[in-house]
Amino acid sequence: MREQKKKRILVWIGVVVIAFICLSPFVWMLVVSFAERPDFLASEKIPYVFTLQNYKQIIGTRDLHVMDYFKNSLVVAFVVTVAAVVIASFAGYAVSRMRFKGKMAIILGVLAVSMFPQISIVGYLFKLMTAIRWINTYRALIFPYIAWVMPISLWILVSYFMQLPTDLDEAAMVDGANRIQALIKVILPLSAPGIFSTSLLVFISAFNEFMFALMLTTDYHARTIPVGIALFEGLHGQIPWGQMMASSAIASIPLVILTLIFQRYIVQGLTAGALKE
Amino acid sequence: MGKVFRGLAVAVVLGLIFGFVFGGVGVAANTTIVFAVGGAPSEIDYWHKVISSFEKENPGISVDLLRQPMNTAVRMQTLVTPLSSRESTPDVFLMDVAWVGQFAASGWLAPLNDFVSKDHYDLSVFFKKTIKLADTYRGKLIALPVYIDAGLLYYRKDLLKKYGYNHPPVTWGELVRIAQKVQAGERKHNPKFWGFVWQGKQYEGLVCDFLEFIVSNGGNILNRKGEPVLNSENNIKALTFMRDLIHKYKISPPNTYTEMTEEPVRRTFQSGNAMFERNWPYAWGLHNSKGSPVKGKVGIAPLPHFPGHESAATLGGWHIGMNVYSKRKAAAWKFIKFVESYKTEKGFAMNLGWNPGRQDVYKDKDVIAKAPYLKALRKVFVGAVPRPGVPYYTKLSDVIQKYVNAAIAGKMTPKAALDKAQAEAKRIISQYGGTTK
Amino acid sequence: MMFAKLGRGAVRSSSSESGLAYLLLAPVVILVGGLILVPVFGTLVLSFFRDVTFLPPVKFIGLANYRRLLSDPDFWNSTFVTVMFAVVAVFFETVLGLFYALVINEKFRLRGVMRAVVLIPWAIPTIVSAKIWQLMYNFNYGLLNYLLVHLHLSSHPVNWLGTPLSAFTSIVVSDVWKTAPFMAILFLAGLQSIPSALYEAAMVDGASMFQRFWNITLPMLRPIIVIALVFRTIDSLRIFDLIYVLTGGGPAGSTTSVSIYGFKLYILGDFGYGSTVSVFTFVLILIFTIVYLKVGRFQEGMKR
Repeated sequence: MREQKKKRILVWIGVVVIAFICLSPFVWMLVVSFAERPDFLASEKIPYVFTLQNYKQIIGTRDLHVMDYFKNSLVVAFVVTVAAVVIASFAGYAVSRMRFKGKMAIILGVLAVSMFPQISIVGYLFKLMTAIRWINTYRALIFPYIAWVMPISLWILVSYFMQLPTDLDEAAMVDGANRIQALIKVILPLSAPGIFSTSLLVFISAFNEFMFALMLTTDYHARTIPVGIALFEGLHGQIPWGQMMASSAIASIPLVILTLIFQRYIVQGLTAGALKE
Repeated sequence: MGKVFRGLAVAVVLGLIFGFVFGGVGVAANTTIVFAVGGAPSEIDYWHKVISSFEKENPGISVDLLRQPMNTAVRMQTLVTPLSSRESTPDVFLMDVAWVGQFAASGWLAPLNDFVSKDHYDLSVFFKKTIKLADTYRGKLIALPVYIDAGLLYYRKDLLKKYGYNHPPVTWGELVRIAQKVQAGERKHNPKFWGFVWQGKQYEGLVCDFLEFIVSNGGNILNRKGEPVLNSENNIKALTFMRDLIHKYKISPPNTYTEMTEEPVRRTFQSGNAMFERNWPYAWGLHNSKGSPVKGKVGIAPLPHFPGHESAATLGGWHIGMNVYSKRKAAAWKFIKFVESYKTEKGFAMNLGWNPGRQDVYKDKDVIAKAPYLKALRKVFVGAVPRPGVPYYTKLSDVIQKYVNAAIAGKMTPKAALDKAQAEAKRIISQYGGTTK
Repeated sequence: MMFAKLGRGAVRSSSSESGLAYLLLAPVVILVGGLILVPVFGTLVLSFFRDVTFLPPVKFIGLANYRRLLSDPDFWNSTFVTVMFAVVAVFFETVLGLFYALVINEKFRLRGVMRAVVLIPWAIPTIVSAKIWQLMYNFNYGLLNYLLVHLHLSSHPVNWLGTPLSAFTSIVVSDVWKTAPFMAILFLAGLQSIPSALYEAAMVDGASMFQRFWNITLPMLRPIIVIALVFRTIDSLRIFDLIYVLTGGGPAGSTTSVSIYGFKLYILGDFGYGSTVSVFTFVLILIFTIVYLKVGRFQEGMKR
């Protein structure tokens, strides 16, 4: 019993510590985003004044293009998510249920690709996009992103598909359906959680991506919000932290909401296949 | 579910079409040129005013201001990317004088000579040395100076008088003596007081300060042939002096080499805690702004030099250039001329406190009335020394920053530091020094 | 793993099925092949050329870039920084992640909430978290120095991002904060698959909390720890976003990872040498992956 109690206390201490570690930077971001002056901790003489002006400025000032960046990120991430799920579903179905030559090679190839460092790709990608004049367009990001998220998408979807017995396909085909119809009408509905997990992880991945966006976009027409925030600087050493934190808060909203609401699916996606022995 | 899936497939196709057709480079109007510039909100607002005046005088041309971040390194990167990929926009942009070299050698700047001769454009109104050393590449004019910066010595007029001096120091030795005396005296009631504050942190600004010290002792980074001469005797002496300011004479604070950039230096002086300051002209307006503890007590002078040599000031400032891939060069040239016009340049001086790239504005009555110190500054600007205008300057700068900072921090002897810097500079030049001016 | 199952076919199929299979796979193969494999190969090819934007023309120079790589002190420094970072960061991520997982695994009321709380650092965009930490590390008005001084943990504020060792530490701390949740999620799944019967039996035998942890929890978690280590090490060796925002690689190159070094070369305009550095980054990761897999399998072998 003593040990039970000791454990209880330790756990609760642990909870407080964890909450503090994980949340304090996030809370700090919000606090500064609503501050009139970001340096209010520098001295007692500088007060903390709550204000909405940072948000008003970044939303209202066209020159700053914060909302453009945000829009670009949302559009690109959404298109990539939909495309990646569709493409990976097709491919995942083939891999998990069909027999053909070169299966292992393709599987290993795609998995190997997840190891590649972006720096080994971005230089050539830049030259390629330059040559076909795609620099600073949505498509310059969409296509590489889809390729980049294929490993994780396939990983999750294939592990879901594999859990479904092949009798289902056979039953459908006996009823006169072809492969594609079997996929669409039978397998996919049953894999809905897997599709959902994949969508979430792909969306998060595409939204967050930095290096490609940094090199392949040049202005507000296609630049995404991570790059916009990273390049958001001030004058002669005076960085506009208030506005930067406000931009950061806005950029965080979609992801935080998605994570909080759908954490179950995210967790399932992350652990998919990792535990199957 | 099948319906949903079909719907999704349609969404994918639509999305890709959307991405293809609409996403990205905007559809341009007839003659719109894109002008990339960064700066403080007040400066950006002023640029908008300049643009509206231009558009009024040139109906049919509209200027799209592409706002950039202010940090120089980041600003350069956001220009390097479109220029490397041969984008036609931005058509016109401002460049830090430190990167004009790289841009010119990379072939990104449109030569302006034809425009100049066709319009009989008068180049003599600009600072000759600047045009020759910074804005010309292989005989072609590729940029024009919008505003000039050069390192200055700020000093406390009141303290100078209080301790019995009647003019600011001319040699570094004099500066040390004055600074030590004032520091000793002021420390009695202000323990945070320092004799001389300057930029020593490991960043680009350190190279500017370093250049001033060494050139004022007859040395330099590269010689006339473009060869590195970092470890010359003169340079070693100058660097030793820089180190001694902190460790031997103790008139410069120990955080000089860990924190001191433009703003910390300015704030130290402005809060009344320093006798001498090395900084750019921008500090003047702030020192004399409402509420500044040193308002009205500040004097400016050329930086001191070592005996037998001359005062040196590092050339800073921003220049305007034209994208060689621009599809609207004629309109771009009109805009450049407008920005460099007497009226606009005078406007920069009067409204933003900038030091114009045109010499003639310095003689303007209104300008002199508003900023009397500009007359003195003009002399400094005429002799300002640019950093090496080589395309690989950033790499060279990294090396200099590293070793100079190590020397003034006392981690290496000045001779060892400069020997190493010289060796690495040689390596860099053998890698990248394919062509010289 | 599941590869074994994949090897076997599935539904009874005819040879014409292969055609359909290839069609279904075509988009993936084209995209991944064209936009990842080709660029990697293209980078390899570029590494044999002198390609500097301000020194035309582009010229084939064979192994010259590689020879330069071998004698480039800045490059070896960045390799050292990268490896050090990977080792240190992954270690602390694992420890912290394990701590999170152990606590959250306990049955208590706010468990679901805590899972969400722990995911917040992971959910925030990397750049956003980098900017927040940059502000927290600010010398004059950052949260860290404020707490440090006001809680009397230190007599004077720390120049987090200004000196080599502290800058490196700052990068590690920020990265660990961001990625420990990922480890925690994996470990949590692992913990939940440990049969509680094992613990009950151990408690009957009188084993203490620590003994149960050491003799049951850790060994049962080993497979998933290995997987997590492999993933995270590979990711750490690629680190870029965080360093770009926090220090840009300075001071004095003390936080320049190989990705940052390669990127700076691209910005300088040296695509040839930058590609060489990129190729090496790739090789570095390959080496680590192979090492890990060998070690991992060795452990497995030992168990049998």
